[in-house]
Amino acid sequence: MHYDFILFLNSIQWRDIVDIALNSYILFRLYVLFRGTNVFRVLTGITLLWILQRIAAAIGLIVTSLAFQGIIAFAALIIIIVFKDEIRSVLQTKNLKSILWGLHYKTIKTPIEILIESIYELSRRRIGALLVFPTIEDLKEFTQSGITWNGQISKEMILSIFWHDNPVHDGAVIVKGDRIAEVGVILPLSKRTDLPSYYGTRHRAAAGLAEQTDALVVVVSEERGKVVVARGDRIIDIHDKLELEQILRDHVGVSMLPDASRKKENFRLGLAAVLSFFFVSGVWFSLARGLETLGTLEIPIEYMNRTPKMQILETSINDVSLNLSGSGTLIKSIRPELVNVRLDLSKAVVGTNTFTITPENITLPPGVLLKKVTPQTVKVILDVSIEKKLPIQADWTGKLPEGLTLESVTITPGKVKIIGAKNILNNITTIYTEKIQLDNIKKSGGITVKPALSPASLKVDPDSTDKITLTYIVKQRPPAGDTK
Amino acid sequence: MKTSIFFLFLSLFFTSVIPVCSQSKSDSPTEQNGQKALLIQAVMCEGVQHYAPVTPAIVFSIDSGKISCFTAFDPVLENMFIYHTWYHRGRMVTRKKLSLKSPKWSTFSSIELRAIDKGPWIIEISDLRGNIFKTLRFSITD
Repeated sequence: MHYDFILFLNSIQWRDIVDIALNSYILFRLYVLFRGTNVFRVLTGITLLWILQRIAAAIGLIVTSLAFQGIIAFAALIIIIVFKDEIRSVLQTKNLKSILWGLHYKTIKTPIEILIESIYELSRRRIGALLVFPTIEDLKEFTQSGITWNGQISKEMILSIFWHDNPVHDGAVIVKGDRIAEVGVILPLSKRTDLPSYYGTRHRAAAGLAEQTDALVVVVSEERGKVVVARGDRIIDIHDKLELEQILRDHVGVSMLPDASRKKENFRLGLAAVLSFFFVSGVWFSLARGLETLGTLEIPIEYMNRTPKMQILETSINDVSLNLSGSGTLIKSIRPELVNVRLDLSKAVVGTNTFTITPENITLPPGVLLKKVTPQTVKVILDVSIEKKLPIQADWTGKLPEGLTLESVTITPGKVKIIGAKNILNNITTIYTEKIQLDNIKKSGGITVKPALSPASLKVDPDSTDKITLTYIVKQRPPAGDTK
Repeated sequence: MKTSIFFLFLSLFFTSVIPVCSQSKSDSPTEQNGQKALLIQAVMCEGVQHYAPVTPAIVFSIDSGKISCFTAFDPVLENMFIYHTWYHRGRMVTRKKLSLKSPKWSTFSSIELRAIDKGPWIIEISDLRGNIFKTLRFSITD
């Protein structure tokens, strides 16, 4: 077991570490960007479904596994469609640096004390008010008719907004950081039937928004002067300033809270980072080092660093068979284009060279291991390239029309310079033209043809022409018995 | 492949100059310098009659049945032997050893044609030391 662990550690390459680190960071950044949003909750749900699907597949629950697979694929699509506004608001409100690096502590503190003083002053004067404290979710989808304000929070300003004669006093204000972002905002009304009868429209509006978003809404009753807080499905009667302060501090963020809460948040982020690392490591291990599957690929051999003057005359094999192992997913997804077998010919000599194919000659995708190469050696016969002038001969085919005879032909040029392997050219004394049909020849004339080079490795020297002109003389065959 | 070789008797009256009818000129005309015979005619033909080639050509139908390589030397300084070496697509098929007699001599070699003989042919006319008098090129077709 101990030995296996050491073997496993030795088999980890720098690419594996980068792979795990990069994906862990991406997962961690997703958490930082989307924490507290519905997208994050749904993503968590999908992740749980994926884990369940893997478990179902591992223990052989075929239908369950397939069903989970379908749900996951469908859910991924749904996330983008349903939560497009939420995703957009997260990405739009942050610059590239904060998307890639920042931890988004809230740096602008909401002046809780001023707000509490203002709320209780409104309560004392029996002035109705609605104050909305959003967090991450975008409220535009749920609210209407807001007027942009962006005013610094002050007790006087809050009192004046909700003053009876102010045109926007019936709407809600939206508090973001140390500013009132919008005034006169119309909130959706709750359709709940269990609300107390003395709750008016203002209370129903507060409950309506709180039900649908993660915002907290503070209501000051105009008739009774009571302060009520709506958050989620709960409506909380506030009895004193201390209680309201605690609720508001809990809601508006950690950065404005004491160091203990900052530490708590740091701990939460650290835990998320560690969990991201372990989760990605687990996924990586299951993909890259999981259940071992064997596969075989036929890969053509590539020859590198051949001296330009040398030519490959012959090889004992063109392809090698690679026995590979890795996780089932990797082995199934591996394509021949991802695997290379390369032999270095820089030290090869003229004649027969025998190369042993080693793992260094083989490039494999990360996570795939080489088990066996068949055959393990390859013979490569190399020769130097030379030039040779060779006579050209016409390669006639077909049949001359009856009564005709092809008496002579003049070929221009008579010789052509050919470049090829020494071993091949030494055995060649003539270059033939491409096939020339006799059937259509009825009288003397000329034709231009090309040389037919065999083997294909032979080339016509660039300085030599590859257009061959044949001028032929056709005569009538003498009558039978007539001799020349 | 069975081939037949014929020797043609010496004919002094065969000294009239007949132009060389072949596909190409000699590949090495200077090789004749210093040799004991001078080639004055080399031709592929369908046969030999009355000491002369019949229907000289460079393309022969397989239907011809037989073809011949006719060569005439003048002068021949002393009795000697020459070779007619037949190549089909670069592969030697047969080599005929023929005698030349002084003062001048004509001789020929022949082969019977078969279906597998179609394609380009070469005949090298050389002395026993391998000096080539001339190379004839021709084709056997349908």
